[in-house]
Amino acid sequence: MSEMRYGYVGKIARINLTTSTVEMISTFDYVPEYIGGRLVCNKIFWDNVKPGTGALDPENMLIYMTGATTATGIPTGGRSVFTGISPNSFPEQYVWSGMGGWLGAELKFAGFDGFIIEGKAEKHTYIYIEDGKVELLPADDLWGLMVHPTQKKLEEKHGKDVKSMVIGPAGENLMRNATVTTSNDSVAAKGGFGAVFGSKNLKAITVRGHGVVRPYDIDKLFELRMKMANPTMRPCPVVREATHGMDGNMIPVEGGWLRGQVACSHGCNQHCNRLMMDMKSAFSDERINQVEKCVGIFAYGYQEDCSWSPIQNFETERNHFLPCKMLSMENPPPDFEDPYAPELFKQVRGDIVNFWKPDFDKGSVMMDMCNQYGIDKWDVIVWFMTWLSMCKQEGLLEDMDFGMEVDVENEEFVKYFLDMITYRKGKYGPIFAEGMARAIRTLGKEKFGDSIYHGRYSQMINKPLDLPVSLETAWGHSFHWQGRGFEGSIYKAGWVAHSLELMTSTRDIMTIAHFHDDYENFLKYRDDPYHSRELVDAVIFNENKAELKDSVTTCEWQSPDIYWPDMEAQMYEAATGIPTTQEDLDFASERSRLIFRAILIRNFGRTREMEVNAVFPALTIPDTFGEVATWEEWNDLVDLYYEVKDWDKETGWPTREVYEKYGLKYIADELEALGKLPQ
Amino acid sequence: MEKNDPRTYGKHIVQYPMDYSLCAGCTTCEIVCTLTHDGLVSPSYNRIFVDRGTRSMVHHILSCQHCSDHPCYNACPKKDKAMCIDENNIVYVNEDECVGCGLCQKACVFEPSRINMVKSADKKQRKAKKCDMCRTRPEGPACVQWCPVRCIGLSTDPLPWEVESK
Repeated sequence: MSEMRYGYVGKIARINLTTSTVEMISTFDYVPEYIGGRLVCNKIFWDNVKPGTGALDPENMLIYMTGATTATGIPTGGRSVFTGISPNSFPEQYVWSGMGGWLGAELKFAGFDGFIIEGKAEKHTYIYIEDGKVELLPADDLWGLMVHPTQKKLEEKHGKDVKSMVIGPAGENLMRNATVTTSNDSVAAKGGFGAVFGSKNLKAITVRGHGVVRPYDIDKLFELRMKMANPTMRPCPVVREATHGMDGNMIPVEGGWLRGQVACSHGCNQHCNRLMMDMKSAFSDERINQVEKCVGIFAYGYQEDCSWSPIQNFETERNHFLPCKMLSMENPPPDFEDPYAPELFKQVRGDIVNFWKPDFDKGSVMMDMCNQYGIDKWDVIVWFMTWLSMCKQEGLLEDMDFGMEVDVENEEFVKYFLDMITYRKGKYGPIFAEGMARAIRTLGKEKFGDSIYHGRYSQMINKPLDLPVSLETAWGHSFHWQGRGFEGSIYKAGWVAHSLELMTSTRDIMTIAHFHDDYENFLKYRDDPYHSRELVDAVIFNENKAELKDSVTTCEWQSPDIYWPDMEAQMYEAATGIPTTQEDLDFASERSRLIFRAILIRNFGRTREMEVNAVFPALTIPDTFGEVATWEEWNDLVDLYYEVKDWDKETGWPTREVYEKYGLKYIADELEALGKLPQ
Repeated sequence: MEKNDPRTYGKHIVQYPMDYSLCAGCTTCEIVCTLTHDGLVSPSYNRIFVDRGTRSMVHHILSCQHCSDHPCYNACPKKDKAMCIDENNIVYVNEDECVGCGLCQKACVFEPSRINMVKSADKKQRKAKKCDMCRTRPEGPACVQWCPVRCIGLSTDPLPWEVESK
């Protein structure tokens, strides 16, 4: 396939930091069979990383890939993906983490479709890539700098046009939820790969390219630019908003605040990211701009959880819109001639939780510290701070001396706490730097994880509901559209579907696999999602689409469009010129998920027992309507899912026949030798 | 060049103030420029530039201002063959004749220069890339047509950040 010249640029750099060597691998060893992005990462990881490797071991590989659409001008193609063993996952497992910005495109202009990082540099190092060359350079003058000063210094060294991904102090200090940050506040966050950078003595990767990327079908490309997510093609001014927040967290802002809308990545036709301009900084009197996405809104005030409407997951052809329209507030008006419209737009109010009162400046400071230290905002807002709030209100912290009174409504305490955990200060800094899942177990899970917070109140059934002080769901991550905890107000069928997706995964799946289905389909399993083939099929559809988003590449906020099922195939074909059907991509994503499954089975001991038990406990906490899953219901659903996937119900392992159907005999052989094929 | 320089400009691409529309940083203008002219995407080929605010997320659009006295044209050793002026006074590059000497790029009065140069080991591939207002395109400049937020348009007036000393 080396004659192929469209979409891809042809090389992957394998960079060994221990030996300071770089091996050039042909992209065409993997594509088009493995499409690109995460599908290629999975294959590389399977082939190269042995069981027993830890996240912070030199042998852990960080694999970064773009897709065939990256840098072509096909919208959302600017997204890219990292994979590797995650220090933030509990237990450590293989995860993925998406990233926006301009670096993926720049890497292709520099002649690379991706890179692999392995080993550990002897000294603090950064990688400089320019037009086919890869250099390892000393990072002594960068080490210790926060994220933005690091980016700035790299621009001073190599020119303003370079694109960088960097870590801040959190990554250097091996904080398990440290980010890798590129431009536009875009981060690879949930994997905690910033700590993997730190463990390898790697501060940054800086790229400059002057080369060429050729899409195959430019007419089709322009057609996609006008069709994908129906861009408004109208001016989008900076506006002064009088209030901030949503639902019960909305507050007036004195003098107002400036809101703009910006794109997250190269070549997109949308501007989903909300730019908050002229905001308070944590570190100086200088005002700053920062991006707010869904979770960021709650940094400013969290008295009430997020509300939800069925249209966010269940759609009709007459009423559906993509998530990219939400933060830009460009949702199309509801079509009330649709008989389902009243149901689709019926609001489910979030629970009252009273974690902290709105404080505009404090929220901005919290966001700025996460950006500059390089910490996953999600873990800070949804987990660290909510835990502190709930534990304080329940009197659980009385024997703990943090060195300052715990008060999440106090801006100074927020700064103190984030500084303490980032730099591993005092008695508790090192404990919380390990992430909440591990910290809770160190402190004692029964008291500090499972104690009930009594401040939750359902506005849907008008009564108090139990909520543990730790919003932990599974795999070391916190709740996300799962019926309880953060963004908990969602119908049972929605949280059951999300929980099933989470079960076969290794991290919060919601950055790539929000569940979408047709509303009439939803009506079939609304009352009993546990015994519905339709729900299982929809879960598999969403799982496969998630795989493609990180591989073609496209974006969670534009895909899937359930009424345009072959959108990704059209994107891929326009980029590469390779005739592609949705069936082709479905086959590729099923194969990729099998490799992912095989990695979990071989390297991390994944079994049915492990994944069922990881997810189920969280489902026994009442949802906003007071409903829970029973052990029998959950296991019935797991049985049905395994049956449809043709996996062994006892072990959760795919059969040889399944592997061979997808051309993975070599994986079946290896697993059989390890005793990890079903008998 | 001073801010009160008497230089005048032909019609050129301008970025509107952010209270009309904020550049989203999507770089669509750069991309469609090279797709339309060259059938590819490359930072060496685009004739319009997004000066990216990596951290501020406020971006400036830079392109040729079509100076009435066209110093780039004057500097070209193959003027009227490589660097040409059409019937509407648009200065454009005839790439078949361009030898990639870079003199036009150096002669541009703006910083950074609004003329791009293709960087290639093959000297024959080195060409000047300069905004020609998509002069043969019936729809007009592709960057204006495809900007998703309509933050750029056409004017003969320079904007403040475009008038900087070199």
